[in-house]
Amino acid sequence: MFFVKVLEHRIHLHPSFFGAQASAYILDQLYRDREGSNTGTMMIVAIIDVDDISEPKIVPGSGYAEYDVSFRAIVWRPFRGEVVDGMVSSVVNNGFFVDVGGLSVFVSKAMIPQQLKYTVEGATPSFTDGVDQTVERGSQVRLRIKGIRGEMGQMFAIGSIREDYLGPLLQ
Amino acid sequence: MASFLDQDFPDEEEDDFNPVQEVGSDDEGDEKPAADEDAKVDELPTRSERSRSRPQRDEDDDDAKDELGTDGVVGFGRDEDAEGEGRNVDDEDDEEEEDDEEEDEEDDLEGQPSRKRRKQHGRNQFIDVEAEVDEEDEEEPEEDDDQPGEEMHPDDLQELPPGADRDDRKHRELDRQREAQFQMDVEEEAARLKERYGRQSRATGGGSAIVPQRLLLPTTDDPRIFRMKCRPGKEKEVIISIQARVKERAGSREPVHIFSAFERAKPGSPMSGMLYVEASRVEDVLAACEGITHVFMGTKPLMVPLEEMPDLLKVTKEKQLEPGMYVRIRRGLYSGDLAAVYEVEANGTEVTLRIVPRLDYGLNEDVNGPMDAANGPKRKRPLVQRPPARLFSETEAKKRHGKYLSKQGGLSGSNWTYQNKEYVDGFLMDQYKLNALQTDDVNPTLEEVTKFATSSTDDGAENLDLAALAATLKTSTANEFLPGDKVEVFRGEQKGVTGHSVQVYGDVVKVKVDPGNGALSGQHLEAPIRDLRKLFREGDHVKVIGGSKYTDEVGMVVRTKDDRVTLLTDSNQTEITVFSKDLREATDSGGAAADSKFDLFDLVQLDAATVGCVIKVDRESLRILDQNSSVRAMLPSNISNKIEKRHNAVATDRDGNEMKLDDTIKEYSGEQKSGRVLHLHRNFVFAQTRERAENAGVWVGRHPNVQVLAAKGGKAGSGGVDLTKMNPALKQNGASPSPMPPPQAKGRDRLIGKTVKIRTGPNKGMIGIVKDATPEEAKVELHAKNKILTLKKEMLSLIDPQTGNAIAGGIQSLAMGRPPPAGAGRTPAYAGGSGGRTPSYAMQSGGRTPAYAAGGGGRTPAWKQDAGARTPAYGGGTSYGGGGLGGQTAYGGATSYGGATSYGGGSVWGGGAAGGGSGGQSTWNPNMGGRTPAPSGSKTPAYGGMEAPTPGFNSAPTPGSYQDQPTPGGFRDQPTPGGFRGGNQTPGSYQTPGGFPETPGPYSAETPGGDDGPRYD
Repeated sequence: MFFVKVLEHRIHLHPSFFGAQASAYILDQLYRDREGSNTGTMMIVAIIDVDDISEPKIVPGSGYAEYDVSFRAIVWRPFRGEVVDGMVSSVVNNGFFVDVGGLSVFVSKAMIPQQLKYTVEGATPSFTDGVDQTVERGSQVRLRIKGIRGEMGQMFAIGSIREDYLGPLLQ
Repeated sequence: MASFLDQDFPDEEEDDFNPVQEVGSDDEGDEKPAADEDAKVDELPTRSERSRSRPQRDEDDDDAKDELGTDGVVGFGRDEDAEGEGRNVDDEDDEEEEDDEEEDEEDDLEGQPSRKRRKQHGRNQFIDVEAEVDEEDEEEPEEDDDQPGEEMHPDDLQELPPGADRDDRKHRELDRQREAQFQMDVEEEAARLKERYGRQSRATGGGSAIVPQRLLLPTTDDPRIFRMKCRPGKEKEVIISIQARVKERAGSREPVHIFSAFERAKPGSPMSGMLYVEASRVEDVLAACEGITHVFMGTKPLMVPLEEMPDLLKVTKEKQLEPGMYVRIRRGLYSGDLAAVYEVEANGTEVTLRIVPRLDYGLNEDVNGPMDAANGPKRKRPLVQRPPARLFSETEAKKRHGKYLSKQGGLSGSNWTYQNKEYVDGFLMDQYKLNALQTDDVNPTLEEVTKFATSSTDDGAENLDLAALAATLKTSTANEFLPGDKVEVFRGEQKGVTGHSVQVYGDVVKVKVDPGNGALSGQHLEAPIRDLRKLFREGDHVKVIGGSKYTDEVGMVVRTKDDRVTLLTDSNQTEITVFSKDLREATDSGGAAADSKFDLFDLVQLDAATVGCVIKVDRESLRILDQNSSVRAMLPSNISNKIEKRHNAVATDRDGNEMKLDDTIKEYSGEQKSGRVLHLHRNFVFAQTRERAENAGVWVGRHPNVQVLAAKGGKAGSGGVDLTKMNPALKQNGASPSPMPPPQAKGRDRLIGKTVKIRTGPNKGMIGIVKDATPEEAKVELHAKNKILTLKKEMLSLIDPQTGNAIAGGIQSLAMGRPPPAGAGRTPAYAGGSGGRTPSYAMQSGGRTPAYAAGGGGRTPAWKQDAGARTPAYGGGTSYGGGGLGGQTAYGGATSYGGATSYGGGSVWGGGAAGGGSGGQSTWNPNMGGRTPAPSGSKTPAYGGMEAPTPGFNSAPTPGSYQDQPTPGGFRDQPTPGGFRGGNQTPGSYQTPGGFPETPGPYSAETPGGDDGPRYD
């Protein structure tokens, strides 16, 4: 789910950057640091605007200036139970991985309907029922997130397509 | 009903057994009027209260009466029974009497009012009509007892108060009841009594438990317990023999006078080999045991002290072996192995087990060993390792031991006899004594269990006997639950209820029921742990806490089925299945075996020439993919050391592109695996992808066999400056890698042929001619002697061959092939013809000019040709554009100045450029580096000064413009510097000088003549 969220970020600035352009540097750094980053629970999609750049404080002992920047950003946070669409990034024999934005979701065989069987045709493994549903690398899949694990900088989840209206999207 | 009976009975009992006549008569007196009243009331309500506890009887008068009647008659019947047929119930009665007496005592002390209350209550509620009848009935039987055998009607009638004649309905009922009662089987009656009393004693157990326990302790008058010794392990057999003997001699002349015999032996317990007989005299004990096998009559019976007797009889719940349960074998070849109970012998001492056999099929057999006729080689325990546990394979057996193998009849066709042992479906069926087995703390792991489960069917489908497994497993689960665990009741009345454990004590878990469980929601309930299991849902992040080889793995639950939970491990994305009891909700996300000193994906040194990447960290071992793509399992101690990751390691891929850690690469051939670079080591690259399961997704390749698909993230490369480091713009002389120096001019080093003087070293002061040169060194042919020395260029200084004077800075510029400053300086020399300025130069390098002129002369045309393309560009003032070499353009620019200078007016530019360059443009500085002093700020004025006097200057038609333009300020205002920096807008910047166009006009044509051409290269 997408949210607009006010976030804070702390930036340290080397004294050699002190000058009229300091705040430009800071903003630059902010965008570079945070946009597209993953906090472990959510992903910062884009920074909308910067609310405030605090007065810098000199960090004792180092001479660095410390800026607290608060900004508004569009973030994406997946939730357990949420239904999301994604693209299959790889298929292995015990399930397949789906990329949902920056989140990698594993759909285990146990969470794939029985009629979808693992088959390898040539070099492309896929889960298919032989009729109209095929999950292979590159397919669009709708799934429900069953669990999420977040680590600093990355998120993993497992998902299920074993429900009505879930599974490969018909193109 | 039971409660009703239980409550009421004591009263009746009391009436029966306690000859407290007064009470009864008091009641009677009270009740008679009540009966009158009652009689007037409707029948239904009269009974309703009494039968409130059993509403089903309410409407049915007869039934109700029957019930009540029997209640009433019980006492009566009992009296009769007690004397007559009632022997069966004697025991119970006796016990009960005690209880009842106790209760009666209590009642007598404080119970009188209460009883009254009860009665009164009944009367007020029109309830005890029947009861009153009962009372009367009871009294009458008592009288009957006095005068047995008579009908009671007359007496009753006599005793009945006036007006009671209407009550003969009751008498009819009474008759009916009595009939019914008589019809009742005596045994049934006994059973009823037993049930009733039994319940009562249980109901009152809370109160009476303490008292009788104390009272029931053995006294000196009771029979004593004697201990006998017997052969350990045979206790049960002995007991059974004694029992047989007691039975056998029961009717004989010398019955066995013992009260009981028992044993408390357990395998391995200190009680084994002990036998206990309860008897009054030692002689009886001896008589009972005499001649029974396995009893050691040699040891005298030991009388158990009185105070120890109760302890001896303390009940410890013993586990009963049942088919399907799992046990471990204590001794022998299979010691420690798990076995499934197949059958339990009737006496409970022997069991038939299913075992996964460990057979070597004669592979390790000593062929020359002595042979035993029946059993093949003589039993000789070979000191080899015991064979691995595998299912029996007849093909293996046939290879060497065909003679010991025979097929058993049977439908399945998989029953074999091999070396006198029976094998069914691949399992060894063998009989074991109970004491050779470990039945507690069996703790089978899932792997062991699945061996039994999967292999018993042909298709490999799992058919785990979960119930049996649970029975085995539930022994040591007391510490399995912790408060806060999610649990599910999986059997019993509350089956399916889920909740969180709140408290765990002993074998009981207090569970707070989750919402969504109907009426139970939110309540606390207590459940025994054997009915509970931990509950996990898909997506839960769990850690394996024990019980299998997967201990400490962390992963997400993908499936739960009954007791088994399948999870996807975080570490290598594989699915494992474990029991839910071995799982706990994980808080950390660490991988397995955090205590290993090697982590997943570490690069380790295996031996001097081999490195490998850790692909699995187990508790004790590591799996490593080495540089040759083979996987090894190693102990951490076998690994010499860990190679720290070199974060700035760089290698080139197949296409010569840079390859760094975390870049995405792809195999060029073969499987075209892709992945993220983990390690770059020598010629090998270790990469990992999450999309491959084997080897944790790690693969290894060689540099020339991979291609970089994408640099890591694109962040590091594209990112701006690192704000936490020194501002690169401020770094002085710092190596600024981006503007590379212009490519070395093609062709020969211009130092060649120059006259140089050696400045230092043993040959200091000697003069020679450079015969050959590399960027660093020069071969100098000395003038003095015929010798060619190879010397570093910095040891040389350029001198004017005529004058012998050193030419300042000459050598560097020549050596570097970098004309700019020196070029500027030299320009006049080149200009050659433009004598006007030469003098100024002459001051510095006067002697050289001719040389240049001479040297240059020949070349000029050639250069011209070379520079041909550029010439027009120069002409247009876009010398920079012509230069078109990015950072180098600056040089181009510089050279062009050189050209310009020759035109006098143009030299303004030179000065200006120098000024500009040195002034603000750091780019200039690095470019020129320290090697070109010319552009440095300090010198600019010098140039200016020098150039100012040039006649050319004077002759230049635009002194004004000169004045204007050279001013640094003015210059800076011009975009030129910018152009300089960027190097690409130069053309524009060139035009801007504005003043130029005037002068250039004429010059431009000559510029190309462009002595700068040569300089350029």
